[in-house]
Amino acid sequence: MRDEPRPHDDVAALIPMLRRVIGARVDDAATADDLVQETLVRVLAAAARVEPGMLEPYAIVTARNVVASLWREQDRHRRNRHRVVDLDLPDSPDQDLLASEERTAVAEALARLTDRERATLLAHEVSGQDTRSLAAEQGSTAGAVAAQLNRTRARLRVEYLLVRENVEPPTERCRPVLLALSGGDRRRQREVDAGRHLLECDVCAQLSQPLMERAQPRDDEVRIPISTDADIVAARQAARELAARLGFARTELTIIATAVSEVTRNIVRFAGTGEVVVELVDRPRRGVQVTARDTGPGIPDVEKALADGYSTYNGLGLGLPGARRLMDEFAVVSEMGRGTTVTMTKWCGER
Amino acid sequence: MTGPKLVSILRQGSWLIASIHTALDDTQMLMFQHDLIDQIGRYRSRGVVIDVAALDVLDSFGARTLRTIAEMARLRGAETVIVGIQPDVAFAMVSLGMDTGTVPTALDLEEGLEYLGRPGGARSARHGRAAG
Ligand SMILES: [Zn+2]
Repeated sequence: MRDEPRPHDDVAALIPMLRRVIGARVDDAATADDLVQETLVRVLAAAARVEPGMLEPYAIVTARNVVASLWREQDRHRRNRHRVVDLDLPDSPDQDLLASEERTAVAEALARLTDRERATLLAHEVSGQDTRSLAAEQGSTAGAVAAQLNRTRARLRVEYLLVRENVEPPTERCRPVLLALSGGDRRRQREVDAGRHLLECDVCAQLSQPLMERAQPRDDEVRIPISTDADIVAARQAARELAARLGFARTELTIIATAVSEVTRNIVRFAGTGEVVVELVDRPRRGVQVTARDTGPGIPDVEKALADGYSTYNGLGLGLPGARRLMDEFAVVSEMGRGTTVTMTKWCGER
Repeated sequence: MTGPKLVSILRQGSWLIASIHTALDDTQMLMFQHDLIDQIGRYRSRGVVIDVAALDVLDSFGARTLRTIAEMARLRGAETVIVGIQPDVAFAMVSLGMDTGTVPTALDLEEGLEYLGRPGGARSARHGRAAG
């Protein structure tokens, strides 16, 4: 640690550059400004730890991560929601008429999507085509397809409610507000001043109820932002705690925690920041699924990184192959310059 | 620093008994390594027992750090024995493909001290059980 204070001027001098970096990635000026501020706060917090001369590259990486985490936030409700419309539907058994009205509403809402949105959504949700192969078909990336699917789902939910309640939005602000609520995107909700609109617009106040209930945090999922050593411990402990609810044996809990420790360390060492999401799954069996994703440089050769003995830092290359041995399912998707996602699952009970 | 201590290092004659009291992150693990090596030099210790019973996991970093400590201690003339590796932790280490290398392990503190060769400090006790 150095004693002389690091002048904040260093950081302030980064602002024009950060505006360019973020402006190139985010269209909306207000959002971009928010992200510049957020980046500055993070850079300031880290400035003392960053080598002189490394501040600018550090700030660029941070800015990119902040933008990426915005996108991730928009992806929040993607995983394991494999129903086209996942609002709570009334499901008393004798209400066939209602059920058929629901189907009609879903069909009509689907018809309001663009052809492309509808095709992609149905390919994914109904035919089970995964985002990677969709991305390959569209000349896009899995992340972009996932984000697009999320937006489509958010829109579908809104259109479905409009059809079901048989209302037309009374103002031009209604749809953007409903979409922001449906996507669970808090930043976007602030941008469109959703809270105020709900006070002012009775239609949206009523329609938004199921959308907001849906956005309640799930209790079978934990999300841990990763940027420091301490977060590695937090991630593995959170995984252990959540998995313990399924009745895993102590040995298995420790195996899960160890695997999480390994993949999380990879984020801290290679990417700087990322997140670990731990969730309980029940299909095809009960288990715990861990997703570790970062927006780091990516792994140039995943096969090689998975090969035992491959050493990427400090003579220590056990991270990925070790975690793979510990878990039942293990997959790595890495894209150069975009980041890496490790998904791994431990099933509960007999194999 | 406030709050409960993460680790303690007690001197007992020519031995050091180092106990890890809770899960450590990598930085804390390295501080522990630094402090322990420092004290081995300062007290010219002959033997070190590291009690890891409270560690939640021994992942690749943790296991490697323990091996490094033992190697650095050896260069300073002290022998290291690791005690208290929990069965589930040992199992995960083995599954991970890690072990404590050539560092001897023992069941608990008592056995660890025995290994270091009470009463004379001779290194004649049986070789510790490998964790994997
Ligand atoms: Zn409205």
